Amino acid sequence: MVVGLREFALRTGDGSPALDESSGEELMHVQPSVAVALGDRSVESPGTLYITSRKLIWLSDADVAKGYAVDFLSISLHAVSRDPQTYSSPCIYTQIEVVEDEDEEDEDEEESNGVLDLSKIREMRLVPSDSTQLDTLFDVFCECAELNPEPIEEEGEEENGHNWVFSADQMVVGGGGEEDAEWQISQSPTSVIGHSNGDESIAQPMLEINDQRFDDAEEMVHENETKDH
Amino acid sequence: QLFFSYFKDLVGQEVTVELKNDLAIRGTLHSVDQYLNIKLENTRVVDQDKYPHMLSVRNCFIRGSVVRYVQLPPDGVDVDLLHDAARREARGG
Repeated sequence: MVVGLREFALRTGDGSPALDESSGEELMHVQPSVAVALGDRSVESPGTLYITSRKLIWLSDADVAKGYAVDFLSISLHAVSRDPQTYSSPCIYTQIEVVEDEDEEDEDEEESNGVLDLSKIREMRLVPSDSTQLDTLFDVFCECAELNPEPIEEEGEEENGHNWVFSADQMVVGGGGEEDAEWQISQSPTSVIGHSNGDESIAQPMLEINDQRFDDAEEMVHENETKDH
Repeated sequence: QLFFSYFKDLVGQEVTVELKNDLAIRGTLHSVDQYLNIKLENTRVVDQDKYPHMLSVRNCFIRGSVVRYVQLPPDGVDVDLLHDAARREARGG
């Protein structure tokens, strides 16, 4: 997956973009006669907008070597812009996520040495010559964005994937095979005293843990207090 | 699923969405989906200096993954209710 805007020039015989059909990419909508404006740059036209289930492609009608593409995964937001004071033509305004480069001094610098770095483009406008199509385009964008949720990683940074943890109740002790209750109890706003973690054989309804591994058997042992450890 | 249900109940209220790129957008919550993608109406940009081009948009769609946080109306949040619901959901209830 490529973050950000990039060049795209793969066309089929009829001029439409070559899609990655092996991954199930489908063409969702075609809008001819669309101009594109990248960042603060002036508008480029004429061109055709192809919206696929994975990305947005703009191909120049005049120059077969020119085209741009951006994955929906990289489109942070999109909107219909109609205010003539903000932009001369009604258009679809999009914000594109870029790879943050820590070495860069000026984050807004898109051109260096006269060469445009597409991957730094943060805003893109699509201006259809038929402005009555804007709402349709907006809806197609919404649809495609919804088709491209964040991929769930099998072994991501969080061991439990996207599970949310709200309290220590949810901390996993681990089957019956775990030897001792060495799990960390995170600071929880809710009281965990007396709550079990699913293993009924260990938990008691009252806070009396009569486990021989605990030295102070004569006292009430509060889980949040540690003695000599 | 909890936050999805919770946001569904907030539809129609004024919220301010702050994105991970520091842009803050205020608007009426129009709809939300299971990925917490957000559609706002009557949007206006809170910090107009960084993204002046966005001033004019009336409706917008924000990808859930770029949202840093959503500011809720102070009287639109029943903290205790949310708290209990969160605990219930954590227990799988």
